Amino acid sequence: MVQSPEPSSLKRRELLGVAGTAGLAATSGCMRRLRSITGWQSRSQVSMGIRAVPADADPYAFRIARSLAEWFQAAGIDASVEPLSEEQLLRSVLLDHDFEVFVGQLSPGVQDPDGLYQLLHSRYVDEAGWQNPFGYANLSVDEDLEAQRTEKDDARREVASSLQETLARTQPFSTVAFPEDARAARRTRFANWSAGALDSSFGYLQLERATDGEEDAAAESTLRGIVTDTRVTENLNPLSVEFRRSGVMMDFLYDALGYVTEDGNVEPWLADAWTFSVTEANPTATVSLRDGLTWHDGEALTARDVAFTFSLLDDTNGSAGENPQSAEPEPDRVPAPRFRGLSSLVDRVYAKDPETVVFEFVESAPNVAASALTAPVLPEHVWAERRTEASVSGVEFGPATEAIVTDNVPPIGSGPLQFVRNNPGETLVLERFEDHFLTREDATDAQTPVQGGPAFDRLEVRVVASNATATQFVVDDEADVTMTSVGAKNVPQIGRADDAELLVSRSNIPYVVGYNVRRPPLSNSRFRNTLVHLIDKAAIVDQVFDGYADPAASALAGTEWLPDSLEWNGENPVTPFLGADGEVNVERARAAFRDAGFMYEDGELLHND
Amino acid sequence: MSAIVDVLSSLTAVVLALHVLAVLGIVGRDKLSLARTTVRRNVTRSWGVFVVLAVVLALNKIVRDVGVEISWLIGARITGFIYAIEGTFVASVQSLATPELTWYFGWMYVYGYVFLLTFPVVAYAVEPDWRPLRELLVAYALNYGVGVVCYVFFVAYGPRNFMPELVESLLYVHWPDVQTLTSRVNRNTNVFPSLHTSLSVTVALLARRHRSAYPRWFPVAVLVAASIAIATVYLGIHWLTDVVAGVGLAVGSVAFARRYVERDLLEENEPVAPPGRTVDDD
Repeated sequence: MVQSPEPSSLKRRELLGVAGTAGLAATSGCMRRLRSITGWQSRSQVSMGIRAVPADADPYAFRIARSLAEWFQAAGIDASVEPLSEEQLLRSVLLDHDFEVFVGQLSPGVQDPDGLYQLLHSRYVDEAGWQNPFGYANLSVDEDLEAQRTEKDDARREVASSLQETLARTQPFSTVAFPEDARAARRTRFANWSAGALDSSFGYLQLERATDGEEDAAAESTLRGIVTDTRVTENLNPLSVEFRRSGVMMDFLYDALGYVTEDGNVEPWLADAWTFSVTEANPTATVSLRDGLTWHDGEALTARDVAFTFSLLDDTNGSAGENPQSAEPEPDRVPAPRFRGLSSLVDRVYAKDPETVVFEFVESAPNVAASALTAPVLPEHVWAERRTEASVSGVEFGPATEAIVTDNVPPIGSGPLQFVRNNPGETLVLERFEDHFLTREDATDAQTPVQGGPAFDRLEVRVVASNATATQFVVDDEADVTMTSVGAKNVPQIGRADDAELLVSRSNIPYVVGYNVRRPPLSNSRFRNTLVHLIDKAAIVDQVFDGYADPAASALAGTEWLPDSLEWNGENPVTPFLGADGEVNVERARAAFRDAGFMYEDGELLHND
Repeated sequence: MSAIVDVLSSLTAVVLALHVLAVLGIVGRDKLSLARTTVRRNVTRSWGVFVVLAVVLALNKIVRDVGVEISWLIGARITGFIYAIEGTFVASVQSLATPELTWYFGWMYVYGYVFLLTFPVVAYAVEPDWRPLRELLVAYALNYGVGVVCYVFFVAYGPRNFMPELVESLLYVHWPDVQTLTSRVNRNTNVFPSLHTSLSVTVALLARRHRSAYPRWFPVAVLVAASIAIATVYLGIHWLTDVVAGVGLAVGSVAFARRYVERDLLEENEPVAPPGRTVDDD
């Protein structure tokens, strides 16, 4: 990567130049002329480092990055790619904000306009985590993000449309495509593999013992999962942003008050029931917990834990009370790097009695506010002592707290599975939590999509180095399921195997290209808009995903919130590719950048340092 | 787990069989008949080097387990740089791939490699001249030592990770179980230099230097070593740059080992070998 000279050293050189000639020039009165000349900044080629995880960790990301680099180079940008491990990539993007462009999957995906609040609201530019990692600040977007929280029905739909249209033009990140996850699963030991749900814990909890299996139904049974990601064997902290991906393991270990249904509503899970009331546009929810909930260590789970959790998410530092959204942000406040959008909906939360917790939300519609109830509930007796500044800092620009940096092994949650052991880099073993409400109660709870406890006694997760090996393990009956998507390349092998099932489902987590808009020229939205014209999403879907993906122009594509104007119909509706079939039309690309106010010299795109 | 057991047991069986063949064909009965005394003598004389090698191997394992983290912190990220030097060379090598070649190079990479590294230890242990064994062990220790330092200071992904659209992980696609053996997860940033290459070339260089002891071993070692070096590139695991660096490391290690053993010799001033035995200088 060619680094442009640092501004400070340049200034120094200029000053030396001025000083050196000043003696001669002073008498002839050229001082002003010199200052005029040095006031003009020099130009250099636009350079751009594109970061992504390599092929072992993600079958698509790095190939997308390489395609981008090729297209950007065609337009005269000095683009280069850099492979980083997943942990390093997330650390540089989410915590250090030390990146130019990255390619990867959003986490979590955006199912509702409010999902964009955390990603893009300007109030989060200085925070670390999935809250505005791009450094994007746009007042009209801020207004829309606020408005979608309060508006209802058609008015909300309009706001969501205008929001997405602004984003499609200003491009803080580019949604490339929604992949179709491909997984391999064995039919011999477990049945009821539902393709749609293996990126959430429900897909695993709904499994049944295979009736024609060799194994006795009463015998101990272990679900053998394979992943290509070591991080779940090393760190089980739901707040450690650089270690989390889809969060399936966290869903096993930690329960939330509510879960999101397929049509986007929030229904009770750990909660028994809740009632919403609205006073002066601010909704209040009274949530009653299920009876006799306990943590994995046997302690009782009470309303106090719930109140504590939201206070912790808002500020992992200090012993703040029950008032998450304090009016004055305190300088030593360290918000959790995950679930920021959810916790920002909550104004105040307190335990009314051990089984009842009251949420007072910020100004919002009740159905938006309810999404806050999907944050995992954490035990106060474990996490209270972690609200101190961590002794070894992982976050570079501020005090990290123990709550964020701890590996949280062993994790104490209240979810349907509890921790048994881990061997960092190799295995993670969980077992059924017998005191979980799913296991305990009769399967009469019609509300939850899962009936009864898991069909397996243990879940053993093993890490292998690549998707090809992961697939082979399932084919060879060394594992029951690849818990991470193995990519289109391994699909034929699954298809050929006996007893293995190919599970393909559209992921709602898109691949995106994220830009650090703190850095010129990426800070210029006109520049980004032009740059996005160089991304041929259709070609990426065709060549990189082998067709196993849907190209998209908005992160909300595939939901009811996508406006007609951003519907993908053969080509990008807002920023069409400047070329054809994956080949950039160099003349058109240059013309576009010239229109945007940039210059070319010897085919190199220039910008002011 | 059974995949790794399968791979390990077939590896053990094949390498043992190769050893038997090689002992019969290369070492010969004369040396075998004297083996008991020569081995004892050679091992007694070189036990210190054995210990050093064992320590280096143990350190190697520890550093490779914990070093990845340190490596990201202090190491130079050179994948893009390597790519800038050699471009898509590995892809053009792979464009010649056939199933037979993949089978051959995969076999050499896994079985040939283990045989190539272990056989000289046996052969030189029964050799009346004690120097080859000591040189071999010193050179091995150096290879591993320098290699692990490089792995900490350089972060590089192999071509199969960097340009997956052009370079296939031939070994792992055609023989997935092997991955449980050869590549520990999270170590895929350790490609510079290629230790497969450096250790193989080390064996070949010493085979040449001591070819008067085992004339038949020299061509075998060269063939296997060359196959392994090519295999690392052909299989998409290493860059050409890694292989070149590996050859450099091998040459350096052997040169150092030679001097080290010569110096020992001067200090100890002991008889080296039965009269009539010479060392081929290169």
